[in-house]
Amino acid sequence: MPLLLHDLVPLHWAVSGAALAAITLALLFVANRRLGISGGLDDLCSVVLSSPYFQRPFVRSSRPWRIPFLAGLVLGGFLSAVLAGGWSPLWSLGPFDDIIGLAPSGKLSWMFLGGLLIGFGTRLANGCTSGHGIFGMSNFEWPSLVSTTAFMVAGIVTTNIVYRVIFHA
Amino acid sequence: MTILYLALGTAFGFVLSRSGAADYSYIQAMFLFDNLQLYGIIGAAVVLTAPGLWWIQRRGRTLLGAPVQVERKAMNRGTVVGGVLFGIGWSITGMCPGPILVNIGEGKVYALAALAGALIGAGLFGTLYSRLQSFFRLPTVQRS
Repeated sequence: MPLLLHDLVPLHWAVSGAALAAITLALLFVANRRLGISGGLDDLCSVVLSSPYFQRPFVRSSRPWRIPFLAGLVLGGFLSAVLAGGWSPLWSLGPFDDIIGLAPSGKLSWMFLGGLLIGFGTRLANGCTSGHGIFGMSNFEWPSLVSTTAFMVAGIVTTNIVYRVIFHA
Repeated sequence: MTILYLALGTAFGFVLSRSGAADYSYIQAMFLFDNLQLYGIIGAAVVLTAPGLWWIQRRGRTLLGAPVQVERKAMNRGTVVGGVLFGIGWSITGMCPGPILVNIGEGKVYALAALAGALIGAGLFGTLYSRLQSFFRLPTVQRS
């Protein structure tokens, strides 16, 4: 199955997993930082929102590393597109276009709704695929195993409802 | 150090972009069990990160000699409920938080709507924190 980006063949799963592990370990070993990406949503919110939750020391002290790391994620995606054959705005969404097929405004609303759940959910769970899934599980943290199980099961149920029940191909 | 964080983030983003982890089709195929690539990635990442974390914490010092500090995550009702909400959002968008940013970098226009949603969702959570605290048994916010 090709990627949506330039129909690329993806990297081997073991290579990808090893690379993510190496970066996670480098972040701790060199910079003494625990990998966690959804915490960056707090950091970005803390720039404009002044409630005590956003202004707590944990958030303020993580801004100097997490905001450059998040900027790097955008840059990494950009470089990946440029090196694969050029950057251009992309609207295609694979099975979504084939089976659900909403117009651009519907697609944006769908993404916005999903984004709300991601933002609220990851902050309530205190972590996402990186902080719970990779770091927390690797560090044998019980809450991370519980949360990872919860979001994997919820994703499996939702996608099966969307693609096998509601929008039946 | 800012350059280091930017470089590590860039490498992380590049791998997410090329592995399928930031690809809507791959996320849906994972949840439908049509393609196991992403299970392989997270499995390999965990299996390889675990011994590294054990070694770094046993050594107790970073490369530069600072005491290693890993704050462990706490369990509360939000651990499950938040995970479920996030999982639904992950399925809807085909993106978890890192890949939202990676997809924006790749030029996937719809990821901007997901980012707007994620920031507003997080903003809402932080603003309502004191009201959510007792039900979800969330920790008290430390004051500076």
